Amino acid sequence: MIAPAAGYSANAPAAIGLTPPRRRRARWVPPLMAAAVVLLLGGLWEGLVYLGLPLAAGQHSLHVDHGPLMVLGFLGTLIALERAVALGPAWAYLAPAAAAVGGLAVAGNAPNGVGQTVITLGGLVLVAIFVAVHRIQASTHNVVLTAGAICWVVAGALWIANWGVPRFIPWLAGVLVLTIAGERLELSRLTGRSRRAGILFLAAAGLFSVGLIVSLFTEASGVRVAGVGLCCLAAWLARYDVTRRTVHSTGVTRYMALALLAGYAWLAVGGVLWIDIGRMSFTDLGRAAHGSAYDAMLHAIFLGFVISMIFAHAPVIVPAVLGRSLPFTRLFYLPLVMLHVTLLLRLVGGDALGNKASWQWGGALNEVALLLFIGLAATSVLRASRSQRAAGGRAHRAQNSSPPAR
Amino acid sequence: MFERRSRQRPGDRVPAAERPIAVVPEPARADPAVGRLYDLLHEVIDPEIGINIIDLGLVFDVTLIDRLATVQMTLTTPGCPLSGYMDSAIRHALTRLPEIDDTRVDLVWDPPWGPHQMTEEAKRQLGWVP
Repeated sequence: MIAPAAGYSANAPAAIGLTPPRRRRARWVPPLMAAAVVLLLGGLWEGLVYLGLPLAAGQHSLHVDHGPLMVLGFLGTLIALERAVALGPAWAYLAPAAAAVGGLAVAGNAPNGVGQTVITLGGLVLVAIFVAVHRIQASTHNVVLTAGAICWVVAGALWIANWGVPRFIPWLAGVLVLTIAGERLELSRLTGRSRRAGILFLAAAGLFSVGLIVSLFTEASGVRVAGVGLCCLAAWLARYDVTRRTVHSTGVTRYMALALLAGYAWLAVGGVLWIDIGRMSFTDLGRAAHGSAYDAMLHAIFLGFVISMIFAHAPVIVPAVLGRSLPFTRLFYLPLVMLHVTLLLRLVGGDALGNKASWQWGGALNEVALLLFIGLAATSVLRASRSQRAAGGRAHRAQNSSPPAR
Repeated sequence: MFERRSRQRPGDRVPAAERPIAVVPEPARADPAVGRLYDLLHEVIDPEIGINIIDLGLVFDVTLIDRLATVQMTLTTPGCPLSGYMDSAIRHALTRLPEIDDTRVDLVWDPPWGPHQMTEEAKRQLGWVP
């Protein structure tokens, strides 16, 4: 059931296929990555404002729409870019471009919901990308990834319809949770998982999805059902994901596994909080609400699970997307450990125990960990590029200085 | 499409410790240069799994014509963004041989990849067998 349909691609139209790697649009990637970084920096600034630091608030939308901008703007650009690079054709790049341009429009207070509409169109293009992949080779994990993209479209539509962010934020979590879970489902085939394991995954993902739908009508019930789904997904990932095997490896493979396993723990924490608290709409939103259940419910997932996943995948995805190598060093453990320790400080010391200083320090250091990781990654990429150029130059000189062949 | 008989099968391989060089499919044994290409492809590692693309069963065929090495392979899924990475890693690995000027990676999707295509060594590393 989980395995791709054998022989399906033999009947697929000839026009559907991946663009060969060397014919892909490498020049389109840097500006999209740059836009994602701008959106990230805007989101981080507003994050500090929410933490109550004495900083000037940015544009109204940048502040109020901090959540959707971080998920659909920043992460949406990266997720869609990864998929566009994988598929290859020019039209696929409309997805990350729409997420980036729409995000910048929202951040700049563009009128009449223009930015929200453009971002939502980006989600539709992402759905089209997954449909194209499905026509090449049908698979269950691709259906789960498509469900994540559909969550993007639903969240965007609710945003356009002026729903408050807390009312549709479960759908934003749906975008990321289903996207990541779908990828892990695909890799879990490497462990030789059983048919029963596949059914259990679909039950967990289905429960989470049902919770999202119910949350549109009855928030408390929907959030709690989705929370049960999150816990089930976390348990499934901890039990069946390939990380349980690769954590015994070395180097970058072990680093990735550890980052992922830590993320699954936070996913479970988020699920428990969703079940326990059961609502996203709080009256104190918009103020520096330390000790906020809302803060804990969201950042356990968005920081603990999602950002840990990004830290894990960057050494693989950055070379794939940028076409430049990102050599792994043990220094990558520094921001990873920092992220998880400071998130504990924020959620336990700040949100659970109500200590405002812990909450603010934890939140601010979460951002430092993220920026430290980006700085380390950028430095590694630049250093590797310089080394490769120098090696190429030496080889060229050696070739020119060697005697001509007779 | 391609000659399926040339694909590496789990039964073709022996434990790593017992082989001085990589085991290559039957057709490749006739051509030592192609055999060396298979050896070098063992150095192309899927970074997330930590296992090389030969043992993962991703490589279907390797040919060498006019100093161009062509690797016919698949990925675990068409949505995998690693195709560009694999292209670079394969080029980097194979162009170390003096008889290779360039490489080409042909991605194919039929048959779809499945875990049964992994070698016993890969399955052992992933905990299928103790």
